Amino acid sequence: MSRLVLKFEGTALKEVPLGNGPVTIGRAPDNDIPIDNLAVSNYHARIYVEAGSLVVEDLNSLNGTFLNDLRVERAMLKDGDAVLIGKHHVVLDQEHDTPLPINSMRKAPAPRVNETMVLDTQERRDMFEQAAAVGERSQLVPDRLRVPTLAVLRGRTSQKEYRLVGKLTVIGSSSMATVRLRGWFAPNVAAQINKHEDGYYLGRGDRVPKINGVEIGGPTKLNDGDLIEVGRVQLNFLYRA
Amino acid sequence: MLHTLLRHSPWFVSLPFSGAERLEAECVYAEARLRLRAEELRATNLTRAPLRIETGARTDLGRVRRNNEDAYQIEPELNLYVLSDGMGGESHGEVASVLAVHTVVAHCRQAANDPATPTFGEPRPDVSERTNRLASGVHLANRKVFEAAGANSEQKGMGATLVAAWLEGQRLSLAHVGDSRAYLLRAGSLLQLTSDHSLVAEKVRIGILTPQEAEMSELQSVLTRAVGPQADVEVDADEQMLLPGDMLLLCSDGLTRMITDPEIASTLLTTTSAQAAADRLIELANENGGVDNITVIVLRLAAKSENVIRWLKGWKRNSG
Repeated sequence: MSRLVLKFEGTALKEVPLGNGPVTIGRAPDNDIPIDNLAVSNYHARIYVEAGSLVVEDLNSLNGTFLNDLRVERAMLKDGDAVLIGKHHVVLDQEHDTPLPINSMRKAPAPRVNETMVLDTQERRDMFEQAAAVGERSQLVPDRLRVPTLAVLRGRTSQKEYRLVGKLTVIGSSSMATVRLRGWFAPNVAAQINKHEDGYYLGRGDRVPKINGVEIGGPTKLNDGDLIEVGRVQLNFLYRA
Repeated sequence: MLHTLLRHSPWFVSLPFSGAERLEAECVYAEARLRLRAEELRATNLTRAPLRIETGARTDLGRVRRNNEDAYQIEPELNLYVLSDGMGGESHGEVASVLAVHTVVAHCRQAANDPATPTFGEPRPDVSERTNRLASGVHLANRKVFEAAGANSEQKGMGATLVAAWLEGQRLSLAHVGDSRAYLLRAGSLLQLTSDHSLVAEKVRIGILTPQEAEMSELQSVLTRAVGPQADVEVDADEQMLLPGDMLLLCSDGLTRMITDPEIASTLLTTTSAQAAADRLIELANENGGVDNITVIVLRLAAKSENVIRWLKGWKRNSG
């Protein structure tokens, strides 16, 4: 089981196992890791799992959250990393063989309000406004400010470079394709890219594309600089400034 | 090179051939064309196959409710599939879901016949015209349900979820509001294409609730968006290219509250027809409690085998 260890001047004060939910750190007593120190904000930072990685996020604290001496707003954690909050360290002790907790097959009976109802728009707005503000800061790099682009490195396509403007980008010879492949045996839909809230995902078409030399399983998130291979075409996925 | 020449109409006609030479040239041409057609045909079967759609659908009261507030409609000619889950007490949920489904279908049908049909809601720049048209239908449905509720004080506050799928060739347009879902089963994996507009789902998305906590929450029935309760609604629109072998599932929460995603996936994978899959899903939801109405639409997509005939006919026409 992976865990977080709270340390002060080298002494372990508290251990918290990592489950599915976020672990909050702060001066308020209802945090998962409370730190009674004036240098620490009430709700200072939180650590949670995102897309299989652990992430530390500063919750707009006054004195900041530091990872390996760098002040961070949000950063990925790896085994042994120490997060500095005030004068305390939170150290990640990760066990690699531990599988991520998954849902059991059967659904547990949930208590239930019988009638479906709809939240008033204003209520909803208030509730999510603060959360949205956190979301705004949560990008490691503000990718959304830059233009997602496919640069053609090899293969017969209609252009040398494509800006991804739609929710769906088709790579193929189809009339619906953005990246139009040429050549007699070019597949209708070689692969597709879908835009989601958190980025762009490459999915299969009549072919199974590769990212950086590895065949994808399901839809796979594209990172800046990824090399996409589909059939005889090579594309470079980039966030252009 | 031969391809390029053959793609244009008989290139030799301008040549000063006559008699036997001309005949020979024509024979060479016809033979080459036949070969080319065969190649095209092969390419078509492997890579260009448009989809054959097999549909299954069913709605069920469940084991607890006294009336069915779900509604669905499938329009094979339009390749349009719409599902809605109504709410509002008494029989008003039924009114809302039926009105919502009919409005979307009628709007899309009208637009298919007349592209100048007015649109409702702001079109998005990042999806196709077809997807925007579908979303427009949902905006119109919202207006109609809202107006119907206003006209009758007993029906005030009635609303509905809505999930709609419309195929244009291989491209799937999706529009949805609420917690009815669309799933895609591709290469053995189940992918949820829609995000629920419910309080717990939105809390999970922003990280203040775990999926486990969400499943146990008392607030599962609280939607953050629905068709009807307010004058306007935000509609989610998305698209996806479908592939031979894919299965698409539209369902109301009466299914997804009762059985898990792995159960849905294995049911879709192990049943032999779309209707059998639909029936089995409903059976499973009832076995697990059936506390709400259950509605499912299942599409199985296969490569179109009639294609062979179509292309051969095309060849005959072109060369005749």
